[in-house]
Amino acid sequence: MRASLFITCYNDTLYPETGRAVVSLLERLGVELDFHARQTCCGQMHANTGFRGEAFSQAKRFVQMYQDTETVVIPSSSCVAMIRDQYPGLFEELGNEDLRRQFAALLPRVVELSEFLIDRLKVDDVGAYFPHRVTYHASCHGLRALHLGDRPYRLLNKVRGLDFVPLANLDRCCGFGGTFSVKNAEVSSAMMAVKLQDIMQTGAEFCTALDNSCLMHLGGAMHRQYLGMKTIHVAEILASTGPGATATQRPARAEAIR
Amino acid sequence: MTSAETTPVAEHPVDHRAERPIEHPGDQPILDPAKAAAFPAAVLPVLRNPQLRKNVAHAIDVIQAKRARLVEEKSDWQELRSAASRIRDEALSHLGTYLEQFEARCTEAGGTVHWAADAADARRIILDILRQENASEVIKIKTMTSAEIQLNPFLEAGGVSVFETDLAEIILQLGEGEPSHIVVPALHVNRSQVREIFARRMGLNDLSDDPKALTAAARNYLRRKFLEIPTAISGANFLVAETGSVVVVESEGNGRMCLTLPRTMISIAGIEKVVPRFQDLEVMLQVLARSATGERMNPYNSIWTGVTPGDGPQRFHVVLLDNGRSQILAGKTERQTLRCIRCAACMNACPVYRQTGGHAYGSVYPGPIGAILTPQLMQMHHAQSLPYASSLCGACYEVCPVKINIPEVLLELRSQVVNQERKQTLRFFDPMYLGLRIANLLFSRAWLFHAAQQMGRIGLGIFTRKDGWIHSLPSIGAKWTQTRDLRGLPDQTFHAWWAAREKEAK
Amino acid sequence: MSTSSQSRQQILKRIYAATGSEADRPEQAAAAWSALPRGYIRMGSMSAEARIERMVERLREYDAEVTECAPDELPGAIATQLRASGKRSIVAPAGVPREWLTTGYDWKIDYDLQTEEIERADGVLTACFCAIADSGTIVLHHSASEGRRVITLLPDWHLCVLKASQIVETLPEYFARCQTAPALVTTISGPSATADIEMTRIKGVHGPRFMNVILVRDDGSKTSLN
Repeated sequence: MRASLFITCYNDTLYPETGRAVVSLLERLGVELDFHARQTCCGQMHANTGFRGEAFSQAKRFVQMYQDTETVVIPSSSCVAMIRDQYPGLFEELGNEDLRRQFAALLPRVVELSEFLIDRLKVDDVGAYFPHRVTYHASCHGLRALHLGDRPYRLLNKVRGLDFVPLANLDRCCGFGGTFSVKNAEVSSAMMAVKLQDIMQTGAEFCTALDNSCLMHLGGAMHRQYLGMKTIHVAEILASTGPGATATQRPARAEAIR
Repeated sequence: MTSAETTPVAEHPVDHRAERPIEHPGDQPILDPAKAAAFPAAVLPVLRNPQLRKNVAHAIDVIQAKRARLVEEKSDWQELRSAASRIRDEALSHLGTYLEQFEARCTEAGGTVHWAADAADARRIILDILRQENASEVIKIKTMTSAEIQLNPFLEAGGVSVFETDLAEIILQLGEGEPSHIVVPALHVNRSQVREIFARRMGLNDLSDDPKALTAAARNYLRRKFLEIPTAISGANFLVAETGSVVVVESEGNGRMCLTLPRTMISIAGIEKVVPRFQDLEVMLQVLARSATGERMNPYNSIWTGVTPGDGPQRFHVVLLDNGRSQILAGKTERQTLRCIRCAACMNACPVYRQTGGHAYGSVYPGPIGAILTPQLMQMHHAQSLPYASSLCGACYEVCPVKINIPEVLLELRSQVVNQERKQTLRFFDPMYLGLRIANLLFSRAWLFHAAQQMGRIGLGIFTRKDGWIHSLPSIGAKWTQTRDLRGLPDQTFHAWWAAREKEAK
Repeated sequence: MSTSSQSRQQILKRIYAATGSEADRPEQAAAAWSALPRGYIRMGSMSAEARIERMVERLREYDAEVTECAPDELPGAIATQLRASGKRSIVAPAGVPREWLTTGYDWKIDYDLQTEEIERADGVLTACFCAIADSGTIVLHHSASEGRRVITLLPDWHLCVLKASQIVETLPEYFARCQTAPALVTTISGPSATADIEMTRIKGVHGPRFMNVILVRDDGSKTSLN
């Protein structure tokens, strides 16, 4: 199985460890991974703030970059949602026939990380070991835009040593919302405070999610308030190995990965 | 009242439109989008008001729970939503035809149909009718449309006393408050506040704060008014084109009182309220009751057609209100805004509304629907901060019974605001605008992006403390760091790590 | 009025500009309406008995008193309800059957009663058009035996005669029963209520606070309510 990693602009800059974890994880699962060195951004920040022309130029660049790629894996549900939900409108409004065709051809080949693992690789046990109490935050894009459903839970449930605690009010937004977090910083913080109450209730050591954007927001407050909890991307949990699981462990259905 | 000229604008680097920062919790909310403070400033006193936040959260939790139970039990809920959405779309696609049909049928049945291009037009039409009737008093059924056109103060100034008859509206009218929710307008008021208002205004010194006693007080206060005031004003939940009928959906019975007892009835309705046929109500009533109050059916629905000899008002007027709706109709993405049936499910589901309540939106239409409807009714001249009053979580879209893709409309409106603003010289130096334009340039070339990352690491390095975290930033960054730390930029980006790894492998 | 017709022209012009000039043809609209997909439940699937049980259950959830009788027992059932109520003056529409009017009560037949008279009455007796079991809704079309709207609004007690054959399961079934669209409809699903004060539900604001329903087994079924 071959795939190309789109790391996302903010992971590249702020959370390279998530990228390293994705690489380690996917290579362990036998995926031949590549990385287009010229990648930058999917355009979400601009689209969500109302800068459609700018967003389109980034979208165009993305589509052209990956037109010959088999599968694009993205460890960020919000970026995948951008591509699935907003690119069509952008290309319709600002693109031409050729670009629309290119985009339409590429679209089914773009997947979020948990979708790649569950739907494409058909694995839920990735041979991970992470002996900590963990709660999972369902980011709004993952929940409502991508309908990830039980994919993250299936993956986390198979992690050896992981003590999973469900989060109350799971479908309530954490308050990040991209530029909302600064344009409406106070409301964003109020929403964050309410979310943190639920997260702290779990007694977990780690709050995990498929989006570092939410985690940057929640984790930033955890650090500011000495809350004794940390955030970590799901990829980093899944990449973790140790007693009971080795770095070279192949999941039971390794043969299916071709 | 603080003065806009002498009070500094709320410190907010990205929104210069906060005309009047609300600093004192006692300030009356201004629900006129042309005058209200921008959302980021308007929320500040609310966020500092635990009582209000608690009231709002409690109210919406109750309705949400009831709604959830009923949606769970309704096996064809998604099919109903689809049908409701399609029925409303069809009504909008052929709106002219259906409105003309409604007018013809209603007129045949003895009603008089008036058309009001805008709020001033509607106010004048209604006052003229009242003057013709020599009416010095009117009883009113709650209608947000009348609040939209600011009818009450206009009538009062014209010598007509207006008596609201919904319990929430009485609370607000007597207490001189403003609605904060379109279905439960007084949800921000608690029982002791209601007791205080009723005791003072109804002269009931021994009144307890038990909701039962308060409700009984309102019932008694209204009884004579219902029986004696011969003129009533209502809104309409739906207008049925096929029959020329008006539909009013309610719980308290004050609606039935107002539309049965008086001699003259005036109903004001936005032009978008029309549904094609009587049968369409079989869908609309099912989704409205469950979405608005979490009931299978609300206590009373009333449907009437023009005038029925011997039964109810013998003079009936409908005022069809445009006030910006025909413009919204013209927008491809925007048109879906008009599907709204005013159920308020969106605001009950909204995590932003939960923290802020309705007044912060500066409009009689708050919450997610307000964030898209209000600026559009203002032709995008006002309330430009409202499309940004959302984290785009999508909870509203999920619950909307007519499937309005509110996030999609929010994004469209944001782009309209930006297109409006980017032409302004002032915006050129706005950190947000500048930043985003620069970012776009950086994203266009990998080497520019990488160079910027390097510079960012150096620049932010100044603010990074020994523990590797940033605790305080200037300018827009301050908005982040006022409540959150930011981890300092790592020494090596992912792409640099990958490149190094590739090199090693060779 | 000329200003209103100016506004009318202006508004319609804007609307047709927004929706396209094709949109002003009624046949187009009718065709589009007929083509609307309706995947929701139209017909209920409950048996007649289950439907009746559901109706009664819902009515009782609304604190309505429900009793039943066979068709020939109706006048007696009405008499029993009146006796138990302790009420004296009862409003009735002009079109109710004579045998419903139990002797010994102060009947106010609505040949055009004054509002104050209706206000002073203790209760009202009517038939109804239909009832919807799913939501426990009673539907009035204000025919001769159901009466003007005011008579089921002002008195504090409503005694309603509901035939088993009038009960449908779903709201769409009610609409299917309407051969032509009625000019006047009032649907009643429980007594009035408000939750405006701290979301505390208070029943009985305006309109009758008490309702008794007599279910007439005109479908041949045996009585079975406890």
